Amino acid sequence: MSAWSDHVTAALLGTERRDPPVLPEAPPGEAGDRAARLLDQAAVLTLRRRAGRPAASGVEVIAPAPGEDAPVVPPGAAARLARILAGEQIRVLPEWLDAAAAHGRRVPARLLPELLERGRSDRVLRPSIARAAGRRGVWLALRNTDWAYLVGAGDDPGGGADVWETGTRNQRVAFLTRLRRTDPGRARDALAETWAREPAPDRAAFLATFEHGLTLADEEFLEAALEDRGKDVRQLASDLLARLPGSAYGRRMAARARACVTARPTREQGRDPAAIAVEPPHEHDEDLARDGVPFHPSGSFMPGNGNGPVGARAAWLREILARTPLGTWTELFGLPPMEIVCLRVADPDGRAARDVHIGWARAALRQRDADWARALLRGGVVVDEPEALAGLLAVLPSDERDPAAADLIRWVDGQPDLLRVLERVPGPWTGDLAAAVVATLTAAARRPTQRDEHALGQLCRLADQRLDPSAASRLEEMGPAVPRAVTELITTLRFRDEMVKELAE
Amino acid sequence: MSDPRDSFDTVSDRWERGRVLGLAPDAAAAKAAGGVAAAASWSGTGCDDGAVWGECRGSGATPYRTCADLAEPAFHCTCPSRKFPCKHALALLLLWSEGAVGPGPRPGWAAEWMERRRDRGRAAPAAPAAPAARARDPKTAERRERRVEDGLADLDRWLRDQVAHGLAQAEKASYRLWDDAARRLVDAQAAGLSGPVRGLASVPRRPGWPGRLLEEYAMLRLLVRAYQRRGELPPELRDTVRARIGFTVAQEEVLSAGERVRDRWTVTGSRDSAQDQLTTRRVWLRGRRTARPALVLSFAAPGAASGGRLDASLAVGTEVDAELAFYPGAQPLRALVADRYGPAEEGTPEGTGIGGFLAEHAAALARDPWLDGWPATLAAVRLGRDEGGDLYAVDGSGDALPLRLTDPWRLLAVAGGGPVTLSGEWGAGGLRPLTAWQADEGPVVL
Repeated sequence: MSAWSDHVTAALLGTERRDPPVLPEAPPGEAGDRAARLLDQAAVLTLRRRAGRPAASGVEVIAPAPGEDAPVVPPGAAARLARILAGEQIRVLPEWLDAAAAHGRRVPARLLPELLERGRSDRVLRPSIARAAGRRGVWLALRNTDWAYLVGAGDDPGGGADVWETGTRNQRVAFLTRLRRTDPGRARDALAETWAREPAPDRAAFLATFEHGLTLADEEFLEAALEDRGKDVRQLASDLLARLPGSAYGRRMAARARACVTARPTREQGRDPAAIAVEPPHEHDEDLARDGVPFHPSGSFMPGNGNGPVGARAAWLREILARTPLGTWTELFGLPPMEIVCLRVADPDGRAARDVHIGWARAALRQRDADWARALLRGGVVVDEPEALAGLLAVLPSDERDPAAADLIRWVDGQPDLLRVLERVPGPWTGDLAAAVVATLTAAARRPTQRDEHALGQLCRLADQRLDPSAASRLEEMGPAVPRAVTELITTLRFRDEMVKELAE
Repeated sequence: MSDPRDSFDTVSDRWERGRVLGLAPDAAAAKAAGGVAAAASWSGTGCDDGAVWGECRGSGATPYRTCADLAEPAFHCTCPSRKFPCKHALALLLLWSEGAVGPGPRPGWAAEWMERRRDRGRAAPAAPAAPAARARDPKTAERRERRVEDGLADLDRWLRDQVAHGLAQAEKASYRLWDDAARRLVDAQAAGLSGPVRGLASVPRRPGWPGRLLEEYAMLRLLVRAYQRRGELPPELRDTVRARIGFTVAQEEVLSAGERVRDRWTVTGSRDSAQDQLTTRRVWLRGRRTARPALVLSFAAPGAASGGRLDASLAVGTEVDAELAFYPGAQPLRALVADRYGPAEEGTPEGTGIGGFLAEHAAALARDPWLDGWPATLAAVRLGRDEGGDLYAVDGSGDALPLRLTDPWRLLAVAGGGPVTLSGEWGAGGLRPLTAWQADEGPVVL
């Protein structure tokens, strides 16, 4: 080795300045040319070095990854995942991952690097990745800080009770969420202990976890939070209280609501058969603000749904109704929800009925009341705020959702509202709902105007991830001459259809 | 569209989607092909045992006519794309692979193109006869020998100048120092050396460059001296020297006179590299019986079908019973596939331990001292890291080879700390992994 470094030194300096070292074993070259001699000797040494290079030793091998419990996905599914990760139909990636996990399968090891890299930039994907990446995924993530998000993202609770003392805000929220799900009382006690020391944004984040396991036992804590210094905390506390039937908050709101919405005595009805009289609140006071109804509720004086701004009084009324326990009305009218929503509202200015129904719809959503949701959806009210109705679909029992959504879509078909409704209906769209969407798409594809084509494009983009992939064959019945957006939708549905079948193999 | 499985019986040997996409010149073309591969864009599609054809509605007024010759495979498309195969040809094959192209009679244009190809194929052995005749013209050959001799003498002077003035100046030298020398070698018809000389410009930017540069200069001078003494060399070594300098041997000559070896050849790795707009594909093979390595090269120039095409017939991870014809040389390595005796099957190569591989490499260097990039196939190696965190392949006896990887993650994920069979190219910087075989994952291209 030292002969070699002598040669390198001589070459660096130049043979003009320094005589190269002698290497007796080198064959003789042209006499007198130092540079040639140096190169010839270097060639001998180079070959000796290259041919005689020893293996390295003492390298520590990497410890084996833990064995997998789940089998890998079938080869066809693995090949499709490679295509998806390469960018083809990349939007179906979450569906692929969730379906694989649902079948108890995992991603093949060779595709983990690309997959984990996707999760680096796309947070929404991470839970799906965690479910399908297997143990090898976590093993790999432990070796690359870019993928550290996967470590502890799965079922592993990620640390014990000391997380609450020492963790970051996100870790503490995660801890509190888990505790609220299992033991809400202990979670409340833990939060109460540190409450006064937490900064306002943290108080809001922690209080938000009370949506899990919310009961009347939380009432006292929430009432106290209505006086909090932080505006967000106060708002959150009032929103949570509004979900709690039987609370003092609910009774306060019910008193306000009953002052505004009253049953008309039968004898007054005479020529006007309205059964409900409405008188929005005349003024706003501090108690109302304390209970979470601001002087300018969001939406008031804003250009609304093509119906002009909502006045302040109407906005207060909607907020009050949205926060009033729905039992108030069944008690007041002595009727089931279905009949109440069909009652006629005395409506001198053409607004009152709408305000009442929107208020009830928001209350049904907040209190997750399936009877009221069903009544409002079937009762044919609140036509001009279909988004509010679409939200109610989530409140229905799962077997009622598809038919109810299908009815809703048939009802708003052909209106600009259709897209806004569908946006709020989560996938998968199956059964009646899928049939209704296909019918809508077919009708829209036959309308040739440019405006329709634009709407159709948006509809297709909405449908491509949510619509049941078996609907592709029904769409193909339209024939070859369909707008480009429909062709693309069919391509995506076919892709998803094959994907789902491969994963089930 | 009918169920793909319906038509499987009629045409038995449809390719897997992966094999089709493996033909793509780059990832963008593969992605674009996926977009064009919609039945709605195509009309007049059909296939038979030898070809697939169809017309694709593109942006232009007339549809593009696309045809693929399955035997080679080879492609023809009327689109103006400079990529080869273009996205239309790939998309057509994708549809065919999904079973969306049914059998039928060849339309006139496709039959004509296939016919023309067949004619060219027949004419091919005759065509190079002309240059061969020219090469046999003693005057031409002598003129070239003289020009090469002058060019190498010039290179020798240049090499000695570098060492006489000191390599230290190379650190600040512009790339022109090497570029000019490389250009003069092209002029002297010693083009085989111009690439390596031009490549030296990047050496002084790497750590440990003085030693590396001296090694390369010394080996170049060794080549110059070998050429000057070519009359005294054994014929095989003379062939090696001539090949390094840039004297080419016609394919026909290799097929007719080259050493023939029949074996079950496992495709252990494939690597494309681009230089001066020319893409070179290096496909490494290893014989199961002979344990001999072989290298099949193919070249593609952008856009021109005339510029040749990359060989897609040898898929990594497959094994084929074939007879190879080796180019002449003291350490035969480069080869052509002369005859195939059956379809390719999946196969894992039998590798060696690290000690065995290093001994094999040393023996090969003794035959051809200018070897660079010798193929390794290592059996049952695990990954390891040294104190500096650099990755190694470690065999059962504890011997280790450093790995040269820009992105280690796929290999790490597949191996997962367990044993794999690993193939790669061994060079000065370490082993550049190409393929790993793992029990559950099968062959994985790295």
